[in-house]
Amino acid sequence: MKANVQPAPLVLAIATLVSTGCANTSLSDSEASEPATKASVVEHYADLAHAGYEDALITAKALDKATDRMLANPTEANLQAAREAWLAARVPYQQTEVFRFGNAIVDDWEGQLNAWPLDEGLIDYVQTDGYQYELGNAGATANIIASERVNIGGETIDVSRLTPELLAGLNEAGGSEANVATGYHAIEFLLWGQDLHGFEQGSGERPVTDYAKGADCTNGNCERRGQYLDAVTDLLITDLEWMVAQWAPEDSDNYRSQLMNADADEGVQKMLFGMGSLSLGELAGERMKVALEANSYEDEHDCFSDNTHNSHYYNGQGIQNVYTGLYRRVDGTLVSGPSLSDLVSQNAPELDSRLKVQLETTMAALSDLKSHAEAEENPMPFDVMIAPGNAKGADIVNGAIMALVEQTASIEQAARQLGLETLSPDDAGHSF
Amino acid sequence: MKRRILALGLISALAAAPLATAAASSEAAVSNTEYRKQWHSDIHSGYQALATQSQALADQAKTYCQSPSPEAREQTRQAWLDAFLAWQQVRFVDFGPVEKGNRAWQFQFWPDPKNLVARKASYLLRNDEPVTAAGISESGVAVQGFPMVEYLLYDQPFSNSERALPADHTCQLLTAVSRHIADNGATLAQDWKDFQSDYVEHAPYTDSTIRAAMAGLEILEERRLATPMGLRGNGKRSVYSADAWRSETSLAAVNASVRGLRQYFMPAFSTLLENQNKADLAGRIEQQFDEVQANFPGLERPMAQLLADDTAFRSLQSLYIDVTQLTALVNDRAAVELGVVRGFNSSDGD
Repeated sequence: MKANVQPAPLVLAIATLVSTGCANTSLSDSEASEPATKASVVEHYADLAHAGYEDALITAKALDKATDRMLANPTEANLQAAREAWLAARVPYQQTEVFRFGNAIVDDWEGQLNAWPLDEGLIDYVQTDGYQYELGNAGATANIIASERVNIGGETIDVSRLTPELLAGLNEAGGSEANVATGYHAIEFLLWGQDLHGFEQGSGERPVTDYAKGADCTNGNCERRGQYLDAVTDLLITDLEWMVAQWAPEDSDNYRSQLMNADADEGVQKMLFGMGSLSLGELAGERMKVALEANSYEDEHDCFSDNTHNSHYYNGQGIQNVYTGLYRRVDGTLVSGPSLSDLVSQNAPELDSRLKVQLETTMAALSDLKSHAEAEENPMPFDVMIAPGNAKGADIVNGAIMALVEQTASIEQAARQLGLETLSPDDAGHSF
Repeated sequence: MKRRILALGLISALAAAPLATAAASSEAAVSNTEYRKQWHSDIHSGYQALATQSQALADQAKTYCQSPSPEAREQTRQAWLDAFLAWQQVRFVDFGPVEKGNRAWQFQFWPDPKNLVARKASYLLRNDEPVTAAGISESGVAVQGFPMVEYLLYDQPFSNSERALPADHTCQLLTAVSRHIADNGATLAQDWKDFQSDYVEHAPYTDSTIRAAMAGLEILEERRLATPMGLRGNGKRSVYSADAWRSETSLAAVNASVRGLRQYFMPAFSTLLENQNKADLAGRIEQQFDEVQANFPGLERPMAQLLADDTAFRSLQSLYIDVTQLTALVNDRAAVELGVVRGFNSSDGD
């Protein structure tokens, strides 16, 4: 068993402001560019995950502060600041989603933070006309905020005290996965409210007076709504703290140490499996193609805030990060180290170049999606792109889907190149 | 968290791209053509059956709407079921012409946890604007296939509403969607026929075909059985995660898919295994198909009933175990011995 984390070669390929507090400072004393090995690549992968979750935590703390300020003083400006903090928190978090697939510890944990789509009527008031919830969901209209007790599928639950523990326990209440009581999307709903614009331009328009005190309160239960928001933003922090610790170096009892003690092939397999699964089945498939082909805004990822384009963009960025070993932190510093790219290029430089180009092409396509959504004039957010008959929107989304499909083919080849027989997560990693 | 998964036809596009697989050796390419000839012919008969039954459904829907009667409605339900089961038999084919224009999704958009089919129906029936073929073509995959016709023919709340069949406007929708299915069925059969030389000449399609069967079995085991049975995720049994719950034909559909794999996939696959000195394994797989099929027709009962009481549930469990063993033999044993790498498929992800 390895007692200490070995310093990995740090390739300072791109000039950057390396400041203190950067996750990879422990590695910076080795500047020799030794050839990358599977072990050093897996170790750097853990560094990337650690930095990513640290950034998610930092921005979640800022979100918590901003919502606390808004609750103490519910003004338009403070609501706007809270929304901006939420948007900023999504940037690093979405880049960590690539760690979900293959690492069961992340996948088992993430539902409490990022589950979607959700039946928001579980949490708060919704417009009854046209609110479509999951078939058979007994909790879809429970409205926890307006209730002292809720009955979900025959079980009565006391919800008079809105604590993080209580709300975490209500996820998937009544056995329905659409019952999401906590996490980014619950917070998003509490900050934006339902998006009632359908395929039209416009996102949720929750008034700040939903958090007002006394007679100014709109839609009732403002105090409990505030308690709810306070509880879920606090929970986000504790959840992220736990995950940061799992990837922290120099701890013999966390997930990272298990990963480092396992066969390096397993780690490399997890990296490639995560990249491929997020590229194809999840991002190209679930998050884009389903929404597009069924013209379904119910399948939009960040549906309350209309931030879906950024969700997709930073998912794509996360995939590229794992391959190149580079991650731009929220403070601007660059994390770099031995990468899959280094490994692949040792024996298959052409494949490495092709995959790098494909990852760039994907980022360009996602950039196109993002810039249309954020355009100053005639912006076209994701829910407008997927509207029936919007040929231009469909082209933009299809461009991103096709780019992701193509990069997945090269990811498969990279796996073969690195001697991994199968990418099925079930055939490896039983020890985790 | 495990959420819904749709059978995306993405992977086979790349698995089949001839240039992408430098690994396929040329000697294999020669000997493999006979398997692909057989597969092509077998799958073609499956597609032809789909085309024929879909045409019969379109005709029957028209007849029913011209002179509605309870008997004609019953006949329309039967025609729907025949066509739907013909689709179940070829549903595992996820490469080739079925990928074009998302045809697989057009035939069956599933699962549909948010009840898009009901939303889309109520949207299309909200006023008395005529339903046209062009309108159906633009309405997205949730409108264009078997689940929509099933909704119109079987959904209970809808059947008690004022829009229920044989209301004029609903009849228009029924006949237009049935027509759309029939057109897709005919085009698919023709396109598959035209695809022959491409398919037979390109060695990587052997892997594509085996991977298609593997994915079909995986979806059958995981999505169509384990998920409604509550064996995944949160452990809740839910009929709504099964397919075709409105018509109570989820199990009939499972049976049809198994039958389809056996009829259209297995003949060439058995020969392939035998030629690779794996006759024993081929025999074991055939035997396991027998085991799975022995559950039927006894088990062709509504999924809701099977989930509702524990005695009935046990017979569903027996089927599930038989299917699991079949999947293990094909996906883990045979595919691994043949060196077919699973690769990514659309059911990766959450």
